[in-house]
Amino acid sequence: MRAAILVLWAACVLTAQSPDEAKGKQLFLGMCSRCHGLEGGGGEGPNLNRPVLTHAADNQALLAIIRDGIPNTGMPRVRRMTDAELNALVVYVRSLSRVAKVAITGSAENGKAVYNRLGCASCHTIAGQGGSFGPELSNIGALRAPAYLRQAIVDPAATLPRGVLLVPGRGFNEFLPVRVVTRDGREVRGLRVNEDSFTIQVKDAANQLYSFRKADLQTLDKELGQSLMPNYSGKTSASELDDLVAYLWGLGGAK
Amino acid sequence: MKRLLVFAIVSGALGQVPYQRIAGVDNNPSTWLTYSGNYQAQRFSQLDQVNQQNVAQLKLTWAYQMRNPGIVETSPIVSDGIMYITEPPSTATALDLHTGRPLWTYTPQIPSDVIIIGSPPVNRGVAILDNMVFYGTVNCHLIALDAQSGIVRWDIAVDDNQKGYYITSAPLAIDGKIIVGVSGAETGIRGFLDAYDSKTGKRLWRTWTVPGPGEPGAKSWGGESWQHGGGSTWMTGSYDPELHLVYWGTGNPAPDWNDDTRPGDNLYTCSLLALDPDTGKIKWHFQFTPHDVHDWDAAQIPILFDADVKGRQRKVVSMANRNGFYYVLDRQTGEFLTGVPYIKTTWTDGLDAKGRPFARRDADPKVNGTLVSPDITGGSNWWSPSYSPKTNLFYQAAREITGIYYKGDAEYKDGTAYTGGGGERKNGDDAYGAVRALEAATGKLRWEFKLITPPLAGLLSTAGGLVFGGAEEGNFFALDAETGKLLWELQLGGAIRANPMSFAIDGKQQVAISAGSSLFVFGLP
Repeated sequence: MRAAILVLWAACVLTAQSPDEAKGKQLFLGMCSRCHGLEGGGGEGPNLNRPVLTHAADNQALLAIIRDGIPNTGMPRVRRMTDAELNALVVYVRSLSRVAKVAITGSAENGKAVYNRLGCASCHTIAGQGGSFGPELSNIGALRAPAYLRQAIVDPAATLPRGVLLVPGRGFNEFLPVRVVTRDGREVRGLRVNEDSFTIQVKDAANQLYSFRKADLQTLDKELGQSLMPNYSGKTSASELDDLVAYLWGLGGAK
Repeated sequence: MKRLLVFAIVSGALGQVPYQRIAGVDNNPSTWLTYSGNYQAQRFSQLDQVNQQNVAQLKLTWAYQMRNPGIVETSPIVSDGIMYITEPPSTATALDLHTGRPLWTYTPQIPSDVIIIGSPPVNRGVAILDNMVFYGTVNCHLIALDAQSGIVRWDIAVDDNQKGYYITSAPLAIDGKIIVGVSGAETGIRGFLDAYDSKTGKRLWRTWTVPGPGEPGAKSWGGESWQHGGGSTWMTGSYDPELHLVYWGTGNPAPDWNDDTRPGDNLYTCSLLALDPDTGKIKWHFQFTPHDVHDWDAAQIPILFDADVKGRQRKVVSMANRNGFYYVLDRQTGEFLTGVPYIKTTWTDGLDAKGRPFARRDADPKVNGTLVSPDITGGSNWWSPSYSPKTNLFYQAAREITGIYYKGDAEYKDGTAYTGGGGERKNGDDAYGAVRALEAATGKLRWEFKLITPPLAGLLSTAGGLVFGGAEEGNFFALDAETGKLLWELQLGGAIRANPMSFAIDGKQQVAISAGSSLFVFGLP
């Protein structure tokens, strides 16, 4: 395994500064940087500043991912590319492993205690334990970058995840808060679970499921730009926040 | 009485579908004999038994589940007690109209190295003429089957699939001829439209959609770019028996998003052609999007109707183009009469007096992406609009969505992608769709019914005052054709990517639609 990594690393070094790398960088900035960050540091998408990429053991696998995307994840097939374009992207993405990783100053161990103290587990599950109202976090460090995780804690409405699964549908906001008032005056505020043009499925903070036909509603507010997750800005010290980010980043990410 | 009816249907099955029957289909609305219902491609049913008062009582008559996985875009043909459908990728099947039970099915040998670049491996249906059904395959064959048994009458290669030619659309059958178009511009084919003798499969003519050196329009291409210029003919056209003209839309130039090698207007891509069906000669053409760089195929269904346009009675052809504009042309001359956006568009500052767009060069694809409305699928695409002669409205399932357009490298190599970039859709809460009812002569919006996701399914209007449509989330629905009010809706459990159509079983009106991998037929209890 170590030998394989060494070979990979050597391959990267050998191709550094090549025309392919420059071309790959241009393609990356256009198509990949919105999710993976300008230098592969991640964001809404995974950090690529690491020698081993979860889904891409070798360059052939990496090429296939760039060409086809990864089904049921946020990684799309952005567009059809020529072999030369694909190869240039592979070279550039591998070069990103040499970019210094984002520095994490907090302590993951302390962060776990902060997670417990704040009661995050009432809504989030890690490794099978916890609530199910909010997104599962078991592998969150593999999916998001530290800056994104930090923002999700102090300004959750700014980072509502875009859907990557079939429910509620690719590109739709996940965990979107909605307020519903039926024609007979019942009001429900909760998260959109799914929706079509005629119906909407909502769960409230008690995880109670509601199914409405839109024709029966007098109000359907989709609260875009809002989140039902509390805003923890000011509720943690700066070092506690660093620790919490370190803990979350460690869940599948900080390797 | 019932026994008599059944007997009548069965004896009808021994009959044939001569050209005259297809041309006069309005006199027998219980059948559906050509892709869009009639040669005018109106996708309008004269049946009015299902109407605004009773549509909410529709119940399942039967369902048929496709054997193969894949997207189902088939539009059934119904005649003499049989429904003819295609299943993905290239299977033709005949179903008993009363029960949905298969009567025969035919699957040709498709080579494992078949090349399908530019769309999923779909098929949109068969054509019927005399005692045969005709359909195209993903390896670019045109096959004629005996309508009663599914036995092969003839099977010919329309062109070389290894160069990227393939067929997804239903052929158009007119008097003695089968007219068929091809897909493949994403592989850099040179597009054409073909006509074949329906009895023998012998080719009668081929009209290239991209002119060769010395031919009219040749100067609209740079260098040798015409050789791989695209211009597919990938959707079914319409036909005016009186003017004896066939109307057929053409697709994008190749490479789609990289125009470096093809300066000029790139005729006859992104155009509507009016052709003499006896010779294939182009009588007139209208190019909607000269020098296209966004993949604005003009493959949408051209609908024929007569209308008062600016105080003068005209024979017109209309199209809600993928580029976001609704066009009305004089179908005798090709004269541009009207062109108005039916969705938000950002790629052009409108159209000039002759219908030519003021295309914005800052909306061209770039290596790092350009945000443009509509997205890469377009304001509309392959799915059918509908025109109701009762309301004089043109109904379109329209998409309101932006996309990012990328310019990329383009290198021609036989049978490989020659697209020069691509696009990314901005799906989600910011995008939406709508069924829009446009005044057919002017394109003015009369009403709309919103959908949360930009649709990929067609529409049917009926003499019962209804418009049927399908949603990406699987809802099949009926709207009031005059007002757009929702009258009925049912969740079918799979994305609807097909066109509705209507017919009758023993005098009882039915409406058919595919959703997911199944075909559903609905009627009144």
